[in-house]
Amino acid sequence: MSQTLNELGVAAVTGTLQGAVYALVALGIVLVYRASGVFNFAQAEFGTTGLFAAYTAKELWGWGYPSAFAFGIAAAVAMGLLTERLVIHPLRNAPRVTLLVATAGVALTAIGLQFWQFNETLVMTMPKIDDSFFLVPPFDAPVTVQQLITFGVLIAASVALGLFFRSPSGLAIVAAQQEPTAAELVGISVRRVSMMTWAMAAVLGGLAGILAGPNTTFSAAFLSFGGGAALLPGFMAAVLAGMRSMPGAVAGGITVGVVEQLGTLTIVSENVPGARAAVLFVFLLAVLLVAPRGIYLGKAAVA
Amino acid sequence: MSATEDTTTIPRVPGAPTDAPTDAETDAETTAVMAPVPAAAPEARWRPGRAGWLARGAVWLAVAWLVLALPANQLSPITIGPADVDIASRAVIFAIGGLSLHVLLGWCGQISLGHQAFVGLGAFTSAYLVTDLGMSFWFAIAVAAGFGAVQATLLGMVSLRLTGLYFALVTLAYGAFAENTLFGITSLTGGEGGKPAARPPGFESPENYYYLCLAFLALVIWLDWRLTRTKGGRAMAALRENPRVASAYGINVRAYTLMAFAVSGIFAGIAGSLTAHHDEIIVKSSFDFRLALTFVLMTVVGGLRSRVGVVIGSAFFAILEEGAFVAMVEGLIGGLGFTPTFFESVIGLPAEFVGLVVGPILLLLTLTLYPGGIGQQIAPITRWLGGRRFDRHAGAVREVEVDDVRA
Repeated sequence: MSQTLNELGVAAVTGTLQGAVYALVALGIVLVYRASGVFNFAQAEFGTTGLFAAYTAKELWGWGYPSAFAFGIAAAVAMGLLTERLVIHPLRNAPRVTLLVATAGVALTAIGLQFWQFNETLVMTMPKIDDSFFLVPPFDAPVTVQQLITFGVLIAASVALGLFFRSPSGLAIVAAQQEPTAAELVGISVRRVSMMTWAMAAVLGGLAGILAGPNTTFSAAFLSFGGGAALLPGFMAAVLAGMRSMPGAVAGGITVGVVEQLGTLTIVSENVPGARAAVLFVFLLAVLLVAPRGIYLGKAAVA
Repeated sequence: MSATEDTTTIPRVPGAPTDAPTDAETDAETTAVMAPVPAAAPEARWRPGRAGWLARGAVWLAVAWLVLALPANQLSPITIGPADVDIASRAVIFAIGGLSLHVLLGWCGQISLGHQAFVGLGAFTSAYLVTDLGMSFWFAIAVAAGFGAVQATLLGMVSLRLTGLYFALVTLAYGAFAENTLFGITSLTGGEGGKPAARPPGFESPENYYYLCLAFLALVIWLDWRLTRTKGGRAMAALRENPRVASAYGINVRAYTLMAFAVSGIFAGIAGSLTAHHDEIIVKSSFDFRLALTFVLMTVVGGLRSRVGVVIGSAFFAILEEGAFVAMVEGLIGGLGFTPTFFESVIGLPAEFVGLVVGPILLLLTLTLYPGGIGQQIAPITRWLGGRRFDRHAGAVREVEVDDVRA
């Protein structure tokens, strides 16, 4: 049993760190859901787009790491704004299922373009910000500095979001989400608020993509359902947060990360093929059966 | 003004001027202005003349030839190879799959992102029953359809506790689970080498198998048509438009939504079983997430709430997927004296990615510009074929958007 216990410890550490990526994606999903009431299936694709842009700048054009990183985020934001202008805004009065199909279409378009443009280099790699790693006692869980940076970025992003939603611009966003017409009447531009929300979601997605990409090799649709699939875990984290709570999304992301790692335990993975997907599916069913409205609800209103 | 006779028979409003018609044309105009009856009333009674019927009959014959004869090399001036006949069968199977998703997306306002799992499980069930247990194909396809219904209903029961959007999420997770776990069970799926699935006796040749698929498509279309014409179909339309009002009228929203899920599962099971015996050896990689997305693409681009549109859209995407569409276009371009590898050399888009790039763009264009999809585009023609007057704007006024199921 001690082996299982040891693995459990490693899974907890690895899962928490992996969950940081899911939490970043989940934050973006919750942000967009609160603003537009839409399940944004393009959220993870913001990340892949940012990652591909950063890769292009870093590896193909020979830029430095900070400027390539910034370029990647800029590409993600551009994609987020284009999505809002060209797809979400024209469909703002359409039913929500139509919007869902539309965001899936945005993701698919991005994936198609990635396949097309990066056809020659099917598998890509990007160096980590810092290549070192160390083993954490007492279970000797391997932890890379990249993962710690990701976790730090998550904390910084959550704090920034928390502060932002207490500032006047943040409150304007909350007002526009709750009562669009009344917000227009007191002089808040709902249009600008919507664009701002999508840009912020795109930044979160871009961060997740560019930070998670160097962990493994990547190809088209990396963050949606490729090597670093974070879309489904991100959505599950958002469900845990009741699709509304920002701190809930962070807690949910880490929970989903740890639960997913349970699938790597020897006793599970030896008996169930594709154990990680199975564990996630069972977990989602359990959550929907037991607490369909979410677990980490936090304070319902502002972040 | 061939419709003048009809227009004069519009029931007059009490108190409206009822002068004796001296000049038929001016009278028709005043009546049209005065009468509150919409202009659709005379059109419903309009019938084409003999030449009109002949023209319609000719087009019907051409369509029948295109569907029934051409892909199976009957009465056809050109001969197409067995591989192309198989592509035609695949188009028919995709049409069944598209109609399966359309039950949810078009009639019910729900979306499934895990349809590859429903189809895939049907395929592997059918292959297992035929190959390992030696059952007949007819029994296997029935079991596959039943399995489809059971899965869809169970998933629906879990996700309907919340808004319909959660069904998308549950099916997404189920798709990943089926891909990795269910299809990873080697005894069921035969592992990497795949599972053999022989065609039923008498339908081994590509042409006969095409007719078999076509027969199942006809069955599915008939069932789908009956579904929308019964009490259940009207209930589904009501709860799609507004579940609260529907439930206030005494419609059991949950039961009817689950019924739609079950029907969709049955269609998906049939499509899966036909896919298995079409490919003859099925591998699990043919049922990945991309298939589910292709189903969504072809259903929406085909046109929600338009059965003909969905069938055409599905067939189009099947042909696009197999690369046959690119081959056709390039053959056409080559015939006109241009470079035959148009996509590859001019746009720099390799032929195998055309579907991947073109499909999603078509989807976004459909959603933002033509919410009725192909069904809306061809509405003038389908109405004309149905014996009505050619109207260029037919279909444009129809409300054709999926409605939400709100919490």
